[in-house]
Amino acid sequence: MAVPLRADDCDSMVAEHEYTIETLKKISELLSSNPEYYTAWNYRRQVLQYQFSQAEGSDDDAAAHSITELIMNDLHFLIPLLRSFPKCYWIWNYRLWLLDEARRLLPLPEAQQIWQQELALVGKMLTLDSRNFHGWGYRRFVVETLKELGTAEEARSMTQKEFEYAKKMIGANLSNFSAWHYRTKLIQSLLDEQSASDDDRRRMLDDELSLIHQAFIDPYDQSLWFYHQNLMCVFDPSMAERTMAPNLSSSDRLQYIRNEIEEIQEMLDGAEDCKYIYQALIECTLLASKVEGSLSSEDRDQILGWLSELKKLDPLRRERWLDFEKTL
Amino acid sequence: MALVSGPGRGEGIPDSELHSSKHVTYIKNLDTRKDELEYWLTEHLRLNGVYWGLTALHILGCPDTLPRDQTIDFVLSCQSDNGGFGAAPGHDAHMLYTVSAVQILITIDAVDELEKRGRGGKEKVGSFIANLQNADGSFMGDQWGETDTRFLYGALNALSLLRLMDLVDVPKAVAHIQSCENLDGAYGIRPGAESHAGQVFTCIGALAIAGRLDLVNKDRLGAWLSERQIESGGFNGRPEKLADACYSWWVGSSLAMIDRLHWIDGEKLAAFVLQCQDPDAGGFADRPGNMVDVYHTHFSLAGLSLLKFNGLEEIDAINSCMPKAITAKCLAG
Ligand SMILES: [Zn+2]
Repeated sequence: MAVPLRADDCDSMVAEHEYTIETLKKISELLSSNPEYYTAWNYRRQVLQYQFSQAEGSDDDAAAHSITELIMNDLHFLIPLLRSFPKCYWIWNYRLWLLDEARRLLPLPEAQQIWQQELALVGKMLTLDSRNFHGWGYRRFVVETLKELGTAEEARSMTQKEFEYAKKMIGANLSNFSAWHYRTKLIQSLLDEQSASDDDRRRMLDDELSLIHQAFIDPYDQSLWFYHQNLMCVFDPSMAERTMAPNLSSSDRLQYIRNEIEEIQEMLDGAEDCKYIYQALIECTLLASKVEGSLSSEDRDQILGWLSELKKLDPLRRERWLDFEKTL
Repeated sequence: MALVSGPGRGEGIPDSELHSSKHVTYIKNLDTRKDELEYWLTEHLRLNGVYWGLTALHILGCPDTLPRDQTIDFVLSCQSDNGGFGAAPGHDAHMLYTVSAVQILITIDAVDELEKRGRGGKEKVGSFIANLQNADGSFMGDQWGETDTRFLYGALNALSLLRLMDLVDVPKAVAHIQSCENLDGAYGIRPGAESHAGQVFTCIGALAIAGRLDLVNKDRLGAWLSERQIESGGFNGRPEKLADACYSWWVGSSLAMIDRLHWIDGEKLAAFVLQCQDPDAGGFADRPGNMVDVYHTHFSLAGLSLLKFNGLEEIDAINSCMPKAITAKCLAG
């Protein structure tokens, strides 16, 4: 068999504190053939930290220059690895560590520039795999940091740009729940950062409701229904506090919910076999009763009707529906 | 224990039988494949691999298949001076492997070997873990700072098995988990992150160990989890993703912890998992037609045990993914 490379060389070089460019090269070879070899990423950090401390000995400009170069070179080294192993935790972690070092060691404009480039990179990664879990988490982290590094004004425009980005990703693929999830979070930040009034919040809510109604052209897509469920939390007295419009009056909430029920009921036409529609009808009706304080017998009968459809359409979760039936 | 994948593939055709003896042979033979390139490529999982293989053998009712002394020797050879464990000898200590080391030592009743032959007793292991807790209650994987609910769960899991929970700030850990909860009732890897079934397991598992399942919106989470079952019978990890046999454990045990395991179709789930097994050379794959590996073998068997599949030892769905007979003894009195 052909083992491409043993780790022994690297082990001993690091053990001997040989934190040289030569050692770094060996570590690169090792990691290129096996990026899961996590101890070698730690070796790499040790070598880099040593190189940084050496650079710090010179005057400020020269130090910033050499540290920038070291970091940029290393960031470049990681690109092909991320392409080949997009799900490898260790590469993403190492990259974040490197970026944090940039933030710690470099003057603000240089650090900002490096982090800004990172946003472009993660954008590319997410174009290749639009649901990559690491990719989305990483993007959130980069954006958070850029906001911390910038002024309040820059932070606000950053959120706005991210909101546009999430919109673009949803437009490209409506069933991308990662993008819908991001949208939920961004709306909150956007409104908070703008110190939005209750009226502003309500306008945003209206926009979101009409957006999701348009998206429901395909009612069989689960992602859309989870986003809809997120929106419905606005009308839930026990969850509203965590949503974009926390201060609606009970009568407003009720009005919204009744509208939703009507909208969703219309969707049944031609999609009578879509279980998500019945689930949403039941959830909304229960929500209405929660706001009203009791479940009317009329609503109860409606729910029982939808439930009997669900039991037929959704045999996998039959026991769940039976449990629910008992609570009515 | 090697993690080399293959040699076989999940058969992908309906099969109502569990080929137990084939699976035992498959696990037993893993360590004889050291000459394969992939053996080296999977060194970063070696200690996890021992835990997966050992626990799978327990579930299959063959607990004494691996030589106990050699297992202890190997585990102790992965320990660092700081008390933590690496994936293999010479590797840096990390939470993920430290948890596996503790699970293995508990399973083979050898925790006292830490005192006799290790680098300090169990307190040393406990302090390695406790030192990784952040001020906000979350946990890092190692000194380099990555934070993830997987590590928080691992910490509470190992510390509860060692009976050293008082070394960490449990209420703060619980508060951190709550900050990872989304509007859908499920949990993400960090505050703000999308819900993911693997992360739900770590968060609910940690709350179970901390005795704080009262904080969970069980109906809402149960609904989200039960929607993970798709037509094939298998579970996916997030909406609109493919099914994977290992989620039979992540989703299944989460449902069990909140008393909602009956909300899914257990028979169809078992049928999906059985299609992932190789009936000839043993082992399970992530989905029918793919190469088998020991990770999916362990979690497939754990999932089947959860479903009370005939002939399998009972797994503990709450305290740790270990045989119930062992956790019951360890955590009693
Ligand atoms: Zn899997």
